[in-house]
Amino acid sequence: MTPEADEMVAVELAINGKPTHLVVRPDETLLFVLRDSIGLTGTKGACLEGECGSCTLLLNGAPVNSCLVLAAQVHGGRVETIEGLAHGDKLHVLQRKFIESGAAQCGYCTPGLIMAAKALLDETPNPDEETFFRGMEGNICRCTGYTSICEAIRGAAREWSR
Amino acid sequence: MFSQPTTLEEALDVRARCGPDLLPIAGGTDIVVAMNRGQLRPAGFLDLTHVRGLDAVRHENGRYECGGAATHATLSRLPVEALAEAALSVGGPAIRNRGTIGGNLVTASPAGDGCVALLALDADVELAHASRGRRVVPLREYFLGYRKTALLADELITRVRFPKDWITAWYKIGKRGSVNISVVCCAIGRSPTGLFHIALGSVAATPIRAPHAEEIVNRDGLTDGAIAEAADAVRRDISPIDDHRASAKYRAAMSVTLVARLLRRIRDRVKEPAR
Repeated sequence: MTPEADEMVAVELAINGKPTHLVVRPDETLLFVLRDSIGLTGTKGACLEGECGSCTLLLNGAPVNSCLVLAAQVHGGRVETIEGLAHGDKLHVLQRKFIESGAAQCGYCTPGLIMAAKALLDETPNPDEETFFRGMEGNICRCTGYTSICEAIRGAAREWSR
Repeated sequence: MFSQPTTLEEALDVRARCGPDLLPIAGGTDIVVAMNRGQLRPAGFLDLTHVRGLDAVRHENGRYECGGAATHATLSRLPVEALAEAALSVGGPAIRNRGTIGGNLVTASPAGDGCVALLALDADVELAHASRGRRVVPLREYFLGYRKTALLADELITRVRFPKDWITAWYKIGKRGSVNISVVCCAIGRSPTGLFHIALGSVAATPIRAPHAEEIVNRDGLTDGAIAEAADAVRRDISPIDDHRASAKYRAAMSVTLVARLLRRIRDRVKEPAR
């Protein structure tokens, strides 16, 4: 057997609830397949080393860095991206709170932050300080809008846990 | 080539047939970083994330047995303090949900937090081959040199075993509070027979045990004098270097501090009434 990197792999997965069939190169990351092959450009790539969190999305309900996941590994999986949050014109509570709190400046980190926050609140609707910090570590904002980001997530948590 | 076995037998078979041609991958938190940097171009992959049971943790006979693909998130929830805290100190949730203990052991970084915690628990690692079977290597004999290990190119890490109820302690010094690579980390485990297992990370070419320090507390117990002497003796166990994270001098000073601090913490624990 002579393994070839350009051999293609068939992948079946659900993206934002939609069954999707993909054919990918073994070395393509989920991030780039979503952005370049499918056109879901909401998920952002920045450091490509798992340091910044801007590519965070949910895989089978758990946050992952999509820049470090090979698309072929996701066969049979369930992917949720920022594009799947709103229902038509109705924004998700996290999206609404980010707007209300002015939590997006350049906006590049926002999709990753919102997906990480969703994972946190899905598991712990009313997180204490420690859980909040642990849940959000790994997502950085270089405009340093952390105060308004935390306010937005806490605001969403208050509605979430009501 | 992309192989995605669902059983361990199949995974071992592919590994034995293809060896280094197919790079075993689980969370990808080391491998894909290197690929994204252009430092690594694997010819193909052996994906271990679909192997049933390889991510599970079981306990029997007072020991935990975790599969090679158990994630840091999973380990961070175990009631084994040093290992849980080490696992929780790795990356953020997104990294902990993907990175595995097997990957930590294969990468064998001197700064591998999970490796250091497992050394302090005197863990065993099980290396398996499709036809030669399984061999159990004490973790203290597994690290052979800088990023060199006892794992052969046709084997996989199938399990890691470590005790459940040792008294353990962990401390990591890094540059920041999270998503943090160790400048120095230390883990200490005390067996029920009172033997100490002192391990350190980022102070040598591999994660290490500290036999000189251990010898003193194993002989003299946890008196103030023995703790100070053991902490000082750790200088003979380490061989730190200067790099962009810290100087060798700082690492040596912090090794002394951490060994003393964690031995005192363990002394306080031993005094606590049994729960």
